[in-house]
Amino acid sequence: MKRYIHVVVIVTLIMLTIVLSAAFALGGIALYLPPRNVRSLAEIFLKTTFNPEYRISPMSPEAVTAIVWDYRGLDTLFETSVMFLAIVGALTLFRGLSEKLSQEEIEYRGGLSVIVKTVTRIAIVMIIAVGASLALHGHLTPGGGFQGGATIAVAPMLIIITFSTYYMSRSISVKKAVLLRSIGLSVIALTTFLVLIIALTQNSTAYIFQNQPKVYADYGIPSYLGNTIVLGGTLLLFNAAETFAVAFGFIALLILITIPEDYAKTIVLEGEE
Amino acid sequence: MEAVQFLFNIVVVSMIMNIAVSLYGVFARPSLIKKIIALTIFSDTVNLMVILIGFRYVEPNPLPPILTTIPPTSTDISTFVQKAIDPLPQALVLTAIVIGLAVTLFLIFLTIQTYRIYRTTDVKKIAKLRG
Amino acid sequence: MNIVILHYTLMAIASLLSVVSVYLAIIERDLVKAVVYSALQSTFYALLFYLIMAPDIFLTYVPVSVGLYTALILVLIKKTERFEGEEK
Repeated sequence: MKRYIHVVVIVTLIMLTIVLSAAFALGGIALYLPPRNVRSLAEIFLKTTFNPEYRISPMSPEAVTAIVWDYRGLDTLFETSVMFLAIVGALTLFRGLSEKLSQEEIEYRGGLSVIVKTVTRIAIVMIIAVGASLALHGHLTPGGGFQGGATIAVAPMLIIITFSTYYMSRSISVKKAVLLRSIGLSVIALTTFLVLIIALTQNSTAYIFQNQPKVYADYGIPSYLGNTIVLGGTLLLFNAAETFAVAFGFIALLILITIPEDYAKTIVLEGEE
Repeated sequence: MEAVQFLFNIVVVSMIMNIAVSLYGVFARPSLIKKIIALTIFSDTVNLMVILIGFRYVEPNPLPPILTTIPPTSTDISTFVQKAIDPLPQALVLTAIVIGLAVTLFLIFLTIQTYRIYRTTDVKKIAKLRG
Repeated sequence: MNIVILHYTLMAIASLLSVVSVYLAIIERDLVKAVVYSALQSTFYALLFYLIMAPDIFLTYVPVSVGLYTALILVLIKKTERFEGEEK
């Protein structure tokens, strides 16, 4: 009886959607029709993204990565700090757990069968290769920093499921993962000020987040290597450092959340009482 | 033209249905885990509606905002401006997906800690405890 | 068939199927099945992101929503309760 109610409701939902959109389309009150011209702000972004005639061009053929790291770089700076604050909050809730885990020697010989372990070993190499390719090509093809980092973060999840959490935390512990994430974030901060530091030593000025030479600030990272290879200026450094930081941030959180419950409950609740 | 309008309106109306059903899931279901699932569905649907604003209607099909010939001539760039879609909503949605992920991760950790202290994830039972 | 109408028909079919998945995910009381329906909804949304010509968003959305959210909520269900509401 309950299943027939669900089927009736699903069919009613689909019929309601189709009838409503037909009423909007044929009745002359078109709810939304995609326009033929795009907005004038988007025309400016599309026209100047790889155009050596304009001085504001970031010289990368990919418009979305250029907007994220060059035209609107300050938005990405605050997004990275929000992610950092969330990781700090999660580490604070589970305080005391990572030190106990590294002090005891936990011998655990288990995991899934040999077939699953061999296939996982092959798959992990391929996942990391795909993630690194997405990160390094971010200024030429669809890809970029966060895409590569999220793809690489699937690999330690597979290791934790087929081997065990203790196997993962013996090679990269929680403290080491947080340290490597901080190294990645400081490389991002260094690249932000890189052109400013270069220009100050030559007694001139520059902007922060600067990529190519602008009107009153004549310094920049080169955008062509030789005559044919497009480097993309600071975009390549930003993408690589962001991938590094995101992947190690996820490793730290995944190790903390998969520790077995009866062992973790005693350590975490002792401090509360 | 009428057929294209009808099919595009199906997409927009079904996104509005998704928002309505997931908002009902956030308010009316008593389990904390169900609320987290419904919240992620809600934020994904809103991100999709923001990208739909940048779409445009071009005769065979529109282009993604990526140049394909390096270095481009001026006719390449003018064809690109007349046929490619808006890149600005995609950059803003990229930031929004990362912030949504950070908030959901923190909510998952908070739910585990709530279960350890109160031994239940039912919102109605937690409200009766008064402690 | 005209290629413009084929493009828009695929978008309409993907969005209708996603409405079915969202309804089934919210109404289900066994939480493991609800997470599987949520992953199905993310697959239809990924197809819709591809047809809207947004490749950067598509490459971000697939590992985050189908890979990381599903695994983390399954670990969360293992540590807390599996059925919502009261057992009848």
